[in-house]
Amino acid sequence: MMEKKTEKDWSFLSSFGNVFSFFFLLGRKAKKTKVFYLLSFIPVVMALIVKFGQVFASRSSLTGIYVFSNFIMTFYLQFIILILALFFGTSVCSEELEGKTLPYLTTRPVSKASFILGKYAAYTLLIVTMTVVGVILCFFILNFNQLGDLSLYKILFRDTAVLVLGLICYTSLFTFIGTFIKRSIMFGLIFSFGWENVIQYFPGSTQRFAIVHFLKSLLPSPSSGRFSFLLFRLEPTPPFMAVIMLILITAAFLGLACVVFNFKEYILEE
Amino acid sequence: MKAVIKTEKLSKWYGNILGLSDVTLDIEAGITGLLGPNGAGKSTFLKLITGQIKANIGSVRINGEGVRNNHRLFSKIGFCPESDSFYEEMTGWEFVTGLLKLHNLPSSEIEKKARKALGIVDLEKNKDRRIKTYSRGMRQRLKFAQAIAHEPEILILDEPLNGLDPLGRRKLIRLIKSLRDEGKTVIVSSHVLPEIEAMTNDIILIHQGKIFAQGDIHYIRDLIDTHPHMISVKCSDPRKVASRFIKEDFVLNIDFSSEKDTFVVKTNNRDEFFRYLPLIFIEENSDVKEITSPDDNLQAVFDYLIGE
Amino acid sequence: MPIKEKGYTHWDGELKKSKYPWIPITRKGIKLAFRKKFFKFTFFLTLIPAIAYLAGIYVSERLEDFAFLTQDSEIVSFLKINPGYFNSYFTQGFLLFMIVVILVFCGAGLISDDLRYNSLQLYFSRPITKKDYFLGKASVIAFFLFILTLIPGIIFLLMKIIFSGNLKFISDYPWLIVSITGYSVFLTCFFAFYTLFVSSVNKNRRYVSILIFGIYVFSDILYGIFKGIFESEYFSLLSIKANIQQVGAAFFGQKLPHNIPWIYSFLVLLFICMLAGFVLNKRVRGVEVAQ
Repeated sequence: MMEKKTEKDWSFLSSFGNVFSFFFLLGRKAKKTKVFYLLSFIPVVMALIVKFGQVFASRSSLTGIYVFSNFIMTFYLQFIILILALFFGTSVCSEELEGKTLPYLTTRPVSKASFILGKYAAYTLLIVTMTVVGVILCFFILNFNQLGDLSLYKILFRDTAVLVLGLICYTSLFTFIGTFIKRSIMFGLIFSFGWENVIQYFPGSTQRFAIVHFLKSLLPSPSSGRFSFLLFRLEPTPPFMAVIMLILITAAFLGLACVVFNFKEYILEE
Repeated sequence: MKAVIKTEKLSKWYGNILGLSDVTLDIEAGITGLLGPNGAGKSTFLKLITGQIKANIGSVRINGEGVRNNHRLFSKIGFCPESDSFYEEMTGWEFVTGLLKLHNLPSSEIEKKARKALGIVDLEKNKDRRIKTYSRGMRQRLKFAQAIAHEPEILILDEPLNGLDPLGRRKLIRLIKSLRDEGKTVIVSSHVLPEIEAMTNDIILIHQGKIFAQGDIHYIRDLIDTHPHMISVKCSDPRKVASRFIKEDFVLNIDFSSEKDTFVVKTNNRDEFFRYLPLIFIEENSDVKEITSPDDNLQAVFDYLIGE
Repeated sequence: MPIKEKGYTHWDGELKKSKYPWIPITRKGIKLAFRKKFFKFTFFLTLIPAIAYLAGIYVSERLEDFAFLTQDSEIVSFLKINPGYFNSYFTQGFLLFMIVVILVFCGAGLISDDLRYNSLQLYFSRPITKKDYFLGKASVIAFFLFILTLIPGIIFLLMKIIFSGNLKFISDYPWLIVSITGYSVFLTCFFAFYTLFVSSVNKNRRYVSILIFGIYVFSDILYGIFKGIFESEYFSLLSIKANIQQVGAAFFGQKLPHNIPWIYSFLVLLFICMLAGFVLNKRVRGVEVAQ
């Protein structure tokens, strides 16, 4: 039949690509994406307020880059990317279960691994875009009178890369959690705002059981002052090792997610 | 005929609750009706044969291949789920084409097939509307469209006529029958008896996770020869005709209904009754208006088999 | 012979209006909360500070037996049982954090699930008003929050009297019972409005769970950042936690944690409640109008 002759031999990559484009389109249209876009722009509003205060009311003596690196970055690192990764990461599987749309996907000639990876990639791209646009806008607002200083762009690039790595890693973790825990949001909230905060205060190797440790290892330690408590007791991992660890953590959690999704039985609530 | 779908000792538990018990079936090409009340195990069976859930015991094979985690098989299978769930923010067109893309078809093919499928279910005019604005009937038709869009050889339809108006039901039934004529294998589940009757004579009766009967509706009915049959006769002189049956051994009961020209006979030997009936009409010179068998349908078969 | 028709049987007597039609809604909400996995464990964790503070009351009456503790002046000042002790329990960060976690468990789905499954029409086709509906839902939150606030507060007071063997504590602080009750009611009302408001915003319970938690945490982070940059205490008005702690300190007659009038914090929280009430009234309707 003509249809059989036009069907290409499928490969993992083409299935991945098809799943990616399906969920990227769906993700872009979804109302929740628009809401989270607004959320990720809150630091931009904060940056505007700070700049307004500095320029018109002379309320702060801190430089733009200082505010960007110590406040805006902290806000992104310890709140925004966690919330984005938690919601979109757990949505990879949970959304299909809650919405009962899983049968449409599991009865297609698409491997379960390519479904997980394709949807993960689509959602990660969405939230990376949200974050990067916000970060860049914050940078430009806070440093608009110093945009000629090329050294600042190195900081922007470094900080953006750290946030992107963080998003990729956290999203992979929450994707895995979403494949096998029903109350993945609760678990994710307790992990993100409980474990990740508390564990940093433990000395030695215990810190390495938090993803945020590796992210903070890629950032310079703050000068001693009122904000050094944010990195209290940080015993940083060398940057190269930190990047390798983040990549390995991402690969491990994605692999586990694929395995769990492949073998677990999902019974949809009637 | 070679079985397309084979199940062997298929059993499924949900914790302590038995979903399906020891089901061994061979399903051939054509339309097979899966009939049972709510909670009988129809959806469990369909989920097992589409690999959505794992069997605790037993196996399912489609065209000789195992189903679970065999994604390549699904290029030949179309599934229409029971639940009314969609990606609400998508339009009908995006939904069908998006799912078609997952079959690795070229864009031109995708557009052609999507247009054809949506045309078949009369949704082409509304294809650019968001699914959340669709009526219940449109949503059901969209579900069917996504199941047939890639022209699968095997169609598994879980309560496909839910939510459709009578005209929609007739259209869909005609469509399903046309798929059979194309040589496809269709399994249709329902708890609405006239729907199954309208589509096929090959049925599987399921209740409490067990298969009660499988085969032709009439063959199944004939198997139950211990169960008396009821025949309704409408004629010009019912009492005169009925009185001729009173003394026959094969007549167990005669009821005169509220309609003056009708009587209902209960007999344990249909063949003998129908052999005798025309002779009586001729001898009594009575005009025959109507002869029907009120329980020669799935409801009676089903009720009898489940003891209701 | 009378023929009794076995048709539909209904009560021929007078149908009385229930005094408390919201109680079944509350009962159901509480039952559903306890059915959730890990809720009991989490709720138990939230009671740990209460147990610790109760132990503190006991130790404060037996300091001579716990001499090893009296070497640390911080512990000694902590074990001074006064309104400050009560304030430190009610406004501690851990308790407030865990209350928010409990709200995610028991409160996220209160209205969002009804919106999702179109249950509002089922509710309002019964003889209950919107007021009954909100009261029933809010009472679910009140049930759990009173167990964490009002009841421990009263138990602390009672245990202090029992362990000290006299009523001196009551005579020293006669208004304390009013403070405990007033603060518990205030906290419960605020969190009830807050949770129901967020729950009514979206049909997706996962989304609502993130919002309940996220708004609380975000407001605190926002305060920290603006305070760090502008060094002004007035930014504490942005933080839900800071506002609650400010009002709590006022209730217990303690030194305010932030150098701004406590009434400002109270007004901010009141404004949030009013906004929540307005949105709830709009979102919860008996009949869905299709556009």
